[in-house]
Amino acid sequence: MSHTVVSLQDVGLSYSVRTGLFKRFKFNALDNVSFTISKGEIFGVLGNNGSGKSTLLKVLAGVLIPDSGSIEWLGDVTRSLLALGLGFNNQLTGRDNALISCMLNGYSKADATEKLEEIKAFSELGDFFEQPVKTYSSGMRAKLGFTTGLVLDVDILLIDEVLSVGDRTFKEKAERALLNKMKGDQTVIFVSHSAKQIARLCDRCLWLNNGKIMALGRTENVMSEYHQYTTKTLKEKDKANVA
Amino acid sequence: MNASRFISLVHTQALMKLKSQANNLVLSYLWWVLEPLLYVLLFYFVFKYVLYRGGENFLTFLMVGKISFLWFSKAVTSGANSLIENKGLLMQRDMPKAMFPLVNCQEAFYKQQIAFVVLFVVLIVNGFSASFHWLNLIPIILLQYLLTIGVAAFFSVFVTIAQDFRMVIQLFMLGLMFTSGIFWDVNLIQDPNLKDMLLLLNPLAALIQGYREVLMWQGVLEFKYMLSITCWALLAIILGTFLLTKNSNYLTRKLL
Repeated sequence: MSHTVVSLQDVGLSYSVRTGLFKRFKFNALDNVSFTISKGEIFGVLGNNGSGKSTLLKVLAGVLIPDSGSIEWLGDVTRSLLALGLGFNNQLTGRDNALISCMLNGYSKADATEKLEEIKAFSELGDFFEQPVKTYSSGMRAKLGFTTGLVLDVDILLIDEVLSVGDRTFKEKAERALLNKMKGDQTVIFVSHSAKQIARLCDRCLWLNNGKIMALGRTENVMSEYHQYTTKTLKEKDKANVA
Repeated sequence: MNASRFISLVHTQALMKLKSQANNLVLSYLWWVLEPLLYVLLFYFVFKYVLYRGGENFLTFLMVGKISFLWFSKAVTSGANSLIENKGLLMQRDMPKAMFPLVNCQEAFYKQQIAFVVLFVVLIVNGFSASFHWLNLIPIILLQYLLTIGVAAFFSVFVTIAQDFRMVIQLFMLGLMFTSGIFWDVNLIQDPNLKDMLLLLNPLAALIQGYREVLMWQGVLEFKYMLSITCWALLAIILGTFLLTKNSNYLTRKLL
């Protein structure tokens, strides 16, 4: 029996950015998005750049509150968002950043300190773990961010493209760890523009385009629609180029 | 998050900021001592030898005022920028925004301990003897701490909404520097009503007056002015926390 851990109903969110003294640029990042996610599931979110994927994760993380619609959680669900370039203070060392992340997730300083060796080992950062994050490559940042999120034991892990960078061996190790987590009670929501990675990891997924849901359901069904659509748009583009 | 976790988190973050800042500078921790000293030397030189002002004990007088003022201006300026500075953390999870100005003020408070030690040394070298009377500093320092975190939280709201507000803060600090009696003595104001009004309306002037009463003049703290500082501090804390909490979602979007 699977429990619904979160359900979204007609969620909409629009951004308004100031571009001049009186000029504003407004766009809908999420438009009437509704879906549910069950406990212990790895749920994928697929879409091109600017399709609203990252916004959706920020909404799920509780960082952004939608303009319309509602989100219902199954009780008190702890969440952690892993996104490239987020969650770090570049001046602090990897160790200090990991410590703060753990403490922000409700660990006491003593408990957080205990977790640090585990993070150091899994992240494969070695001596860099003691260096400021500003000295890290983007792959190293991703490793630190992913590992910190992984050891936190939150109910829902929200992963935004973190696994798209980094070397292959680490990616494989990370994917295995995610699949293991899922056997526990952890739910993972996984954002990627790599259709392959989603197909490999997720049972169900969602395809977003311009903030709207294009398809939702079992990964193979969503994927076939997605591929049809991308081949179609590619052909149209080619035609336009020839003409 | 309960209160003790929150305090431990603020303390840890403040210590880490101190450490990372020091590591960025060649002279590292030495700057904590050098900075207050250099400021005072500069002011002393300007007022004593360029503007020909100041009499006996002018250096001590100046130093008491300047060192306490620096604490306020640095903590508030850095606290006001704290939400923008911690965008990476704030975009990651929902958490109380008031934590960030507090962390920066805490960091400034730890640094201020060293500045105070420098100040005490200068006082003793200049012939002021340390006594139990100096314990009267505790309420003043506490009040200044409260005022600092309140004003920092309050300003952080506006800087997050529009970074233009940084200019306003600069101007505000300049105005405070001239009206708080740092390089002139509030007691020299002839009109007693004017003096009273200044000390009631500018909590920083009252604080600096209090520091000098305790450290230099062996005087007593006037209850009226301590009460007015308390009111200003509480007003700023309540208003700052209220605005940060109430507009939390709006501020997050401003950070995007």
